[in-house]
Amino acid sequence: MDGFSLLPAVILDIVGSSANIVFSFLAWRYARLLSRRQPDNFVWGYLYYVTFAIAAFAISRAVGHLVKQFLLIANLPDVWGEISAYSGGFNTLFMVSVAAVMIFYHKGVQAYEVLEHEAGKLKIANRNLGMAARELRDLNQTLEQKVEARTDELSRSERKFRHLFSASKDMVFFNDAKYRLVEMNASGAEMLGYSPEEAMNLQLEHLFAQDEDAGLYCQMLAKNGYIKDLNLEFSRKDSTVITVLLSATAIFGEGGEMLGSEVIAKDLTRVKIMMEQLAASEKMASVGQMAAGVAHEINTPLGIILGYSQLMMDEFTEGSESYQNLQVIERQTKASRKIVADLLKFSRLSGGSREEVNLNEILADVIAVTEHTLSLSHISLCFDPEKGLPAITGDPEKLRQVFVNLINNAHYAMQDMGGGELLLRTRLQDGGRPVVIEVRDTGHGIQEKDHARIFDPFFTTKPVGKGTGLGLSVSYGIVHEHGGLIEVESPVADLGQETLEGTLFRIRFPLSGHGRQEEQAEFTL
Amino acid sequence: MERGTMNKYAIYRMLGFTPLILAVLPCREAFALQIHGGGEGLVVHQLAHIQYFGALGYLLWDIRRSSFAGVGWRHLQRFCLLLMIWNVVAFIGHFSQMFTPEGAIDTSDGYLFALLQAPMTFGRMIFYVTALDHLICAPALFFLFLAMRSFYHSTDEKGDG
Repeated sequence: MDGFSLLPAVILDIVGSSANIVFSFLAWRYARLLSRRQPDNFVWGYLYYVTFAIAAFAISRAVGHLVKQFLLIANLPDVWGEISAYSGGFNTLFMVSVAAVMIFYHKGVQAYEVLEHEAGKLKIANRNLGMAARELRDLNQTLEQKVEARTDELSRSERKFRHLFSASKDMVFFNDAKYRLVEMNASGAEMLGYSPEEAMNLQLEHLFAQDEDAGLYCQMLAKNGYIKDLNLEFSRKDSTVITVLLSATAIFGEGGEMLGSEVIAKDLTRVKIMMEQLAASEKMASVGQMAAGVAHEINTPLGIILGYSQLMMDEFTEGSESYQNLQVIERQTKASRKIVADLLKFSRLSGGSREEVNLNEILADVIAVTEHTLSLSHISLCFDPEKGLPAITGDPEKLRQVFVNLINNAHYAMQDMGGGELLLRTRLQDGGRPVVIEVRDTGHGIQEKDHARIFDPFFTTKPVGKGTGLGLSVSYGIVHEHGGLIEVESPVADLGQETLEGTLFRIRFPLSGHGRQEEQAEFTL
Repeated sequence: MERGTMNKYAIYRMLGFTPLILAVLPCREAFALQIHGGGEGLVVHQLAHIQYFGALGYLLWDIRRSSFAGVGWRHLQRFCLLLMIWNVVAFIGHFSQMFTPEGAIDTSDGYLFALLQAPMTFGRMIFYVTALDHLICAPALFFLFLAMRSFYHSTDEKGDG
């Protein structure tokens, strides 16, 4: 063998060049598809240019090689000699181009990626800015609506609490740190008898009826920051006193300093009177029970004493000393029995009839009996009956006794003053006890300290021997037995809000058929 | 996107005008101030091989540095490596051709029956081996094709590059 055949190299050159063209173009095709599928992907873009340059180089080189091989096979070396320089030049040029694209374009892509990264950050920032701008715009758009809604809400709330303040039937007021009233509701001003303008100029200490209460109020408020259910007395403009239940809360500033207080006070005067009346009523009920027991026990021996004294009187001649002594025993025993009978009436244990009674007629009967006696004491009597006064159910005898007792008391009160005026009046009013009888005199009246005791058995202001102290007690028991109420005023409040000397007894009865039910209802309550 | 499009068209224009310029200015008739002899073409070509080798090395290094994972990137690394070897082979082959005497190849029986004359020296052996450079070059481009196809299919599967 003279040497190595170059035929394999020739064949490999032809086949390899062809394969290079095919592979490079296939690679470029896929790179092209990639960059089209994802045009924003920089890597695919870079690979697209690289494969393009490689394909260009592959064509340049492979075509050159194929032309060379075919020209040399065709024995045309001269032709190849003419074009080989161009082929080599293109080869070199495309190889440089491939390298350039591979390096410089890659660096460009990197720079672009950096720029894109920065742009991305800017984009994110821009997007956030846009979102913030939209939120701000939405906020601006809804701010007005929100302010309007909030204003409405506050307005409603203000109206609600203003109404609560104004319409409250209790006293509500605010005072500043110097205990000066800054605002008081109409009910409070009315409760104190001031006009709303006058109430604004009040100092808190002027309200307290007791001087020490002002100090107590300030002390409790400063110590606890609030006052709960403090029972006090307030002084009205006309110097009368009302009982109030007071609750207060201190108002503190941001620095903890007291700015004032808000106060609610409930008028308990009426409740207090009712409680006193209830206590008196209970007292009278217990006294009545005791009196009934005593009367029952005493009544029997009194009957025996009276019987035996009358039997013994038959044994002695009239006018003898023994007979006279027995007469004294009989008289005093009868007097004692009368007292016992009165006690029984007071305690409602005595019997009696029940019928339809016209109080105008009863009063006319009583007037007929007592008018002469009254006139002897220079007491003028005036009777003002209500026409068509409905009847009540009751015992006419007992009712007569009630009015006789009241007229006797009035007579006693006025005879020391040399006379006076007695007014009897019946009228019809609304309410549970519509039939009203008033007995009013112009006597010396009842002292304040005696008001709570006048219905007590055996209580009397008369001298010894002038009265037993059972008249009003018996009257109270009878009226109560009839389902009625008896009230007393002394001095008497006139219609013009002035007070007059004297005493007024006001008796209220239920209509016929309602008395016991009302009484039961009252007892239940 | 716009920038990418602009670069693509710029390269098209550049590559499109190059043959025209070369055609109207043949090497031998170029009126340059400096004389460019026949050896200059080989030097430029060899320098281009070195540049190509460097560019491929840079790309290989960048792929490995970026820790790109996946079959496509592994194929691309193989492409870079094979083509770098091809550049070395070609570089040596060009010098080998230059130093092989004309009489070393006998074409008296025709080009297809050309023989590399004995004795088979180291230089002639290098000449013969480097003449088979397509054994490296063609597989390299095959891996490039595989890499691109793999990238394409990966985006097809994921819907995302």
